[in-house]
Amino acid sequence: MIIEDDRRMSDALASGVEAAGYDVATASSAEEGFFLVHTERPDLLLLDLTLPNRNGLDILRQIRTEGIDIRVLILTSHNTVEDRVEGLRSGADDYLGKPFSFPELMARIEALLRRSLPPSTPTSLTVGDLLLDTKTRSASRSGEKLDLSGREFDLLLYFVENRGRTVSREMLAKDVWRETSRYTPIDNVIDVQIARLRRKIDDPFTVKLLQTVRGLGFSLREPQA
Amino acid sequence: MLAVLLLLYAALVFAFQYVVLTRQIFHDEVQDVETVEGLLFFDVHGALQLRQDYYSRPQSHLLIDRMMEVLDSSGTVLYRSPTLNGMPLSGPPRPGEGDSSFDEHLVRLRDGSHVFLISHIHDMQGRRLLIRLGYDLGPLRSRMYQFFVLLLVAIPIALGLAALAGQAIAKRALRPLNRMAQDTEQITASNLHHRLEVLNPNDELGHIAQVFNHLLNRLEQAFIQLQRFTADAAHELRTPIAALRTVGEVALERGQDSEVYREAIGSILEETARLNETIDSLLLLARAEATQPGNPQTVFAVQPLVDEVLDLLQVVIDERRISVIEEGSPTEALNVRADKPLLRIAILNVLHNAVKFSPTGSTLRISYNQLDKLSPTLCIGFHDQGPGIATGEHERVFDRFFTSSSLATAPMSGAGLGLSVAKLVIQRIGGEIRFDQDVRSGARCLIELPVFER
Repeated sequence: MIIEDDRRMSDALASGVEAAGYDVATASSAEEGFFLVHTERPDLLLLDLTLPNRNGLDILRQIRTEGIDIRVLILTSHNTVEDRVEGLRSGADDYLGKPFSFPELMARIEALLRRSLPPSTPTSLTVGDLLLDTKTRSASRSGEKLDLSGREFDLLLYFVENRGRTVSREMLAKDVWRETSRYTPIDNVIDVQIARLRRKIDDPFTVKLLQTVRGLGFSLREPQA
Repeated sequence: MLAVLLLLYAALVFAFQYVVLTRQIFHDEVQDVETVEGLLFFDVHGALQLRQDYYSRPQSHLLIDRMMEVLDSSGTVLYRSPTLNGMPLSGPPRPGEGDSSFDEHLVRLRDGSHVFLISHIHDMQGRRLLIRLGYDLGPLRSRMYQFFVLLLVAIPIALGLAALAGQAIAKRALRPLNRMAQDTEQITASNLHHRLEVLNPNDELGHIAQVFNHLLNRLEQAFIQLQRFTADAAHELRTPIAALRTVGEVALERGQDSEVYREAIGSILEETARLNETIDSLLLLARAEATQPGNPQTVFAVQPLVDEVLDLLQVVIDERRISVIEEGSPTEALNVRADKPLLRIAILNVLHNAVKFSPTGSTLRISYNQLDKLSPTLCIGFHDQGPGIATGEHERVFDRFFTSSSLATAPMSGAGLGLSVAKLVIQRIGGEIRFDQDVRSGARCLIELPVFER
C-alpha cells in the first residue's frame, strides 16, 4: 500500500513493487490513504511525509493510536537526523530518504516483511559454487580458497545475503562501509573495491557471478541458463 | 518623575520661604523690642507710656501692625497697644517667660488672628517689666497661601513646557536617526550598494552609520556570492538535465529493441547519480555555511582522522600502486575543535583529489608540521606527483563548479565542488587551505588548522 502525492513516483513505485510479486494499492492523499488502510488492511505502508493538506506523520500517529498492525516505511526528501528521529518516534518502522535507489527500497521492504520471522544466521552460505563461511570469515569457489581482505569479505557477504537482488552504491556505502553521512563521496572507492573483488572471485572462473547492472548497481547471481 | 521632582522642589521652596520670612519677622520683632524699650516711660501718673514721636513716618507699619502689652511681675497689664483693641495678647505671664532674652511663641487672639509673639524681660526704674510684642501672621499666611497656589498652578505649566521642550530636543536629536532609518528603508536586496551618509564619524550616530555600512559591505559581498552561486548552480544542474533529456529522446526516437532502451535508461540513471552528487554537495555547502546546530563541535586529533580517510581510500591507492609517505614532526597529539564528519569530508575531498591525479606508481607525500604563528597551528601538506595546477588557477580551484580548462586534468573532473566544500569547512573552523605555488612538480595542498589547547 503506497501513499504518495506525486503521481509519477507513485506509479513507478507501484509497478516496481508489483513486478516483485506484491499486491499494491495506492492513494494520493492522506484521507484516501487512511480509508484504504482501514478497508484493505495492507501488511506494509509506504508513506510519503509531504502530503497535501495533511502531514504524513499525522496519519502515522493516527494509525499507531488506533493500534492497526501494519509496517510503515517512510519516504521523504527531508533527510536530516531530526526528521529521521521524529519519524521513527512517531511509529515508523524504517525511514528512507529521497532520492533512494529502487533496489534499496525493495531490500528494505523485504526486510520489514521478514521481520516477523526469527532472523537466521547460517554459518555457511552458498551461491552456485561459491561458498562463504561466516564463522571463519573465509570464502572458496569450486573448492579453491579465495584470498580476501576483511573489507572484501564483508562486501561479498553482503552480496551473498542479497543474492539475486540488485544492490545500489548507496546501500553498499551505508551497510558495508558504514558511512553515516550520505554526503561522503565514495563511489569511486566502491567501484575500485568491486573491481578487485571481481578479479578474485570471477576472473579465474568461466561463470561470472558478480554482475554490474548499469545505472542501478551490482548484483550477485547465477547467470540464467 | 519630573512631576514628583517639581513637587518636591516646590515644597522645599515653600518651606524655605516660610522659614526665612518667620525668621525675618522674629528678627524685626527683636529690633522692635529694643526700640520700644527705649521709648517706654512712666508718665507723671506712674502709667507706662510709649513715645510716639520717634518714628519719622507715623504710618510706619510698625506702628500700625505692632501689638504690644507690658506686664509687671505680678501680671498686671501696664500697657496695651491700641492695635489689640483691648484683647489680651497672651494671658498671665507663664513661669520663666522672657527669661532667656527673647522667647518666641505663637498665640491665637480672641478674634482668631494668629500672632507671632516674643517676650522679653526689661528692667526699668527698678521694676521688672515683661514686654510682649507681636505681629499678626495673617498677612504672611495669606501671602504664603498665594505663593502656594501660584506654585501649584506653575507646576503643571512647567511640566507641560518641559514636555514640549523635551520633545523638541529629542526630535532634534533624533532627526539624523530618522534620516538614517529612512535611508536604511531605501536599501533593499536590489540596491545593496547604497550606503548611509556619515555626517560626523566621531559621534555616536556617525559610529553607528559606519558600523552599519560595514555590515552592508559584508551583506553585499554575501549577496553577490550567493547570486553568482545560484546562477552557477542552475547552470550546472541544467547541463546534466539536458543530457538526460537528449539520451531519453534519442532512445525513444530510434529505439526498437530493448537493448537500446536498457542502454539509454542505464546512462540516464548514471547521470541522475551524478546530479544527485552535485545536489548533495550543494546541500553540504549550505550546511557548512550555516553550521547548523545538530553537528556538535568536538575536540579530536587530526592525524588519526587523516589516517582513517587514507584507510578508506586505501583500495584506490593500492590499485594505482601509489606509495604514501608520511613525514614531518609527530603531531598525533594535536587536537582541533570542529564538526568532525564535515572535516572528514573536507580531508577526504582533498586526499581523493590528490590520489585521483596521481599517476600510477607515483608517490604521495603527506607531511605534518607544527607552526608557531600567532597561535599554534598544525599544517598538513598533501603533495602528489600529478599534472599540478595550471598557472593562475591556484586560487580558482576553490571556486564552486570550477573545473580546470587544462587538458591534463579534464578527464578526471568531477562536479567541481569538492575543494569548495573543503575550503568552506576549513575556514569555518579558523583554518586555511591553499595550493603551494612554489612546487616544481605536482600539486601541493596545504591545510592549516588552529590547534585546540585545553
